[in-house]
Amino acid sequence: MSSGNVLEMRQLFAGYGSGGDILRGVDLQIEEGDFMCLIGPNGAGKSTLLRTISGLVKPRQGSIQFRGQEIGGLRPDRVFRLGLAHVPQGRSTFPDMSVWENVLMGAYTLHDRRIRQERLEQACAMFPIVERQRNKVAGLLSGGEQKQVEMARATMTGARMILLDEPTLGLEPRASRTVVEKMQELNASGVTILLVEQNARTGLAASRTGCVMELGRIKLQGHGPTLLQDPEVKRLYLGQGGTMTAPRPPTGQVVA
Amino acid sequence: MNGQLLAQSLVLGILTGGLYGLTSVGLSLIFGIMRIINIAHAALIVLGSYLALALFRSFGLDPLLSILLLIPFFLLLGGAIQWGILDKLSSKDLTLTVLATFGVAIIVEGLQGAIWSSTYVSIRTPYSLSSVQVAGLYIPVVRVMAGLASFVLLAAVFVLLYRTNLGRAIRATTQNRTAAQLVGVHAGFVTTVAFAAGLAMAGAAGPLLGMLYSFYPATHWLLIGKLLAIVVLGGLGSLTGTFAAALVLGVAEQVAGVTLPLEWGPMLFYVLLFGTLIVRPQGFFGAVRRGSL
Repeated sequence: MSSGNVLEMRQLFAGYGSGGDILRGVDLQIEEGDFMCLIGPNGAGKSTLLRTISGLVKPRQGSIQFRGQEIGGLRPDRVFRLGLAHVPQGRSTFPDMSVWENVLMGAYTLHDRRIRQERLEQACAMFPIVERQRNKVAGLLSGGEQKQVEMARATMTGARMILLDEPTLGLEPRASRTVVEKMQELNASGVTILLVEQNARTGLAASRTGCVMELGRIKLQGHGPTLLQDPEVKRLYLGQGGTMTAPRPPTGQVVA
Repeated sequence: MNGQLLAQSLVLGILTGGLYGLTSVGLSLIFGIMRIINIAHAALIVLGSYLALALFRSFGLDPLLSILLLIPFFLLLGGAIQWGILDKLSSKDLTLTVLATFGVAIIVEGLQGAIWSSTYVSIRTPYSLSSVQVAGLYIPVVRVMAGLASFVLLAAVFVLLYRTNLGRAIRATTQNRTAAQLVGVHAGFVTTVAFAAGLAMAGAAGPLLGMLYSFYPATHWLLIGKLLAIVVLGGLGSLTGTFAAALVLGVAEQVAGVTLPLEWGPMLFYVLLFGTLIVRPQGFFGAVRRGSL
């Protein structure tokens, strides 16, 4: 892989069933070790993009290369085995299993007992909640705790890249901060991260690079903090600028 | 009524409950992972009875031993039905699969009639009329054998589901299919394994039921009603709940048999079912938490 890109998409089109295209020609490159935040309005196709990368949705056209290998259209379990994990939106623990069993499921594809044990220890070190709540039924944990269990589970195979779909959605501020910190820790340990975030300000502040998606295409791409300063991004996604100020009351006199 | 009779019906009830457990836990497993009601479940149990009878008549093979042959046969049959019919339909329309299992039930019943005729038959082994005496109670040998065999097979299934990687993958896929795929589980394969395992439990129950009761091709319509009542009573998708409900209904049926007028028997399952659902709509162990089926 000469480019240093861990993930490359070219002219990617995808959609559901017999419906129209949701992704309409996505072109995106993500460098190894990057922490990229993807923002955009509802319905832009952010979740669909993640679901297409991880194999939950089949692409209709275009290519997805992960570490130089074409993965477009592979079954999700195959994509995961290549080292690309996906933490989907909402709750995705196995609710009736214990926390420990949930994390063990993350190692389902590992057959070497020794490696499995090593990874369990690493996961416990990064996510102390796993050890603390190990025998608790996952479905009874708070949203933030469940999200940490899901993240711990996603790291069990030593994934090179993790896709996270609005992991802080619906969490109280303190739990949100923990989740953001954990993402940064993961990234610092060498894992490439692609984060979809509704809260553009939080997302762009936490990440290294950012991109804006609109109507199924990538509209803007750049350095995260710089994007935060972009007037267009500010106006559209950060709730500042012209559109948010009330129209000025008319001055002068009404004639006739 | 006298205490001995009650004790006797309790023991018989637990043994019968084990057999109901073996048949209904398979149905519950299939419902949990595929979200379809396998209407053909009881018809395949009766198929197991007929095959055991044929093996017994032709080769003198003991019905208990025939289970060892029926399990692999039904695993393959289950794999073929899931892969060849249900999997293809479920991607189009889930309700079609219920219709498909209804069709399988009719076909199995029709084939049985064509091959073995539609008259009552039963499996009569040399020990069919013997009893064992336990603590002053006389229990027919076949009841003891059927009950114990059911408990052993159920224990094996629970060990598979709760102590092995494959079993954990089956439970994970049942609880959250997408999340299971995202940790590397081939959901299609695991679903086929679970469906085949459910059918193997049905097939294994065939000889056991055939030793206890006489049967004919349409017997399964009576049986499937009972099994569905057990699965709903236990809480949809909960295997331990299904097992508990099977024991409760097995005991209730036997106790009612010695205490209530005969006409009450067939109603009993449904009276208990509706009674429970009024108090506890999710069944014994049903899901209360969001998304925890």
